[in-house]
Amino acid sequence: MDARTLSLPISTLDYKQPTTVQVGSPVSVVIDLMQEEERGCVLVVDADEQLVGIITERDLLTHLSGQRAAPSDFKVEQVMTPEPEVLRASDPIAFALNLMHLGHFRHVPLCVWDDQDEAYPIGIISTRDILEHIAIFIENQEKEA
Amino acid sequence: MLYDLAIDEELKQMDEEDALKAWRAHEIHVALKDIMRPIVTIDINYSTNEAIDILLTHKIGAAPVVENGYLRGIFSERDVLYKILNKQVGDLDVVGVKEFMIADPQTAHPEDFLNTAILYMARGHYRHVPIVDTENRPIGMVSIRDAISYLVEEFPKEVLTLPPRPVRDAFKAREGA
Repeated sequence: MDARTLSLPISTLDYKQPTTVQVGSPVSVVIDLMQEEERGCVLVVDADEQLVGIITERDLLTHLSGQRAAPSDFKVEQVMTPEPEVLRASDPIAFALNLMHLGHFRHVPLCVWDDQDEAYPIGIISTRDILEHIAIFIENQEKEA
Repeated sequence: MLYDLAIDEELKQMDEEDALKAWRAHEIHVALKDIMRPIVTIDINYSTNEAIDILLTHKIGAAPVVENGYLRGIFSERDVLYKILNKQVGDLDVVGVKEFMIADPQTAHPEDFLNTAILYMARGHYRHVPIVDTENRPIGMVSIRDAISYLVEEFPKEVLTLPPRPVRDAFKAREGA
């Protein structure tokens, strides 16, 4: 992990495919997806698969624990953070680190844009993905030492 | 042509020297005591809802569970997602946090380096590592976020180059996105 690594594109990291749900879905579906796929967040898309929001573990804790209500009583749009900050897979890793640090984000969706400037999610980069990358670097350093 | 090659060679050399300098300046051999956050604990006799309220009040993703000050477990928002939501687990005002916590978590000591904590978090898939004293009493916490923040501060030139699009309301954003 040196200065040059940070200028490499995010696509060089092992980022994940997005797990998505449609607007209007009950939150219980999101919980099932997160539990089954062991994900820390789910992206919310509209009928055209355009990104409209993100739901994280923290959103679930904040909304569901506070209300003491059943997850099936909530729609995803009541719980999601709308219009999350996004990046391109071709952006440098430094941009992802910067967003995560400034915005306190654990996940940043990666999108492509059509000619109407509509964003479609193609992946998610997480603080864990970057940590794993650093850990490999540390392990290699230890082997060399 | 030769001139171009010479310039390219020089640039390449400068690039390598810069990278080496960057690495020497940014070794992650910082002691955990220098970056750990103050500890917020959950008493082992608390109900699950009391424990969740502590996570929410302090805006933290996890907290050590203690008995008479000694570490017994760790309770995180991930435990809420995997073990509580959408499940029939009883009255959370009554069921104790010890039913859902992870017992005897991986810990580190204040003199350990950030390198050690990063390897623990990567290999064990933990997001938080409690820092304990020699008697196994928690005195701080280090998370993936702390590691990322440390790196950002160590790489100011590269990281503080703002993204091509403005960071909309980044400071107003909810925790955890």
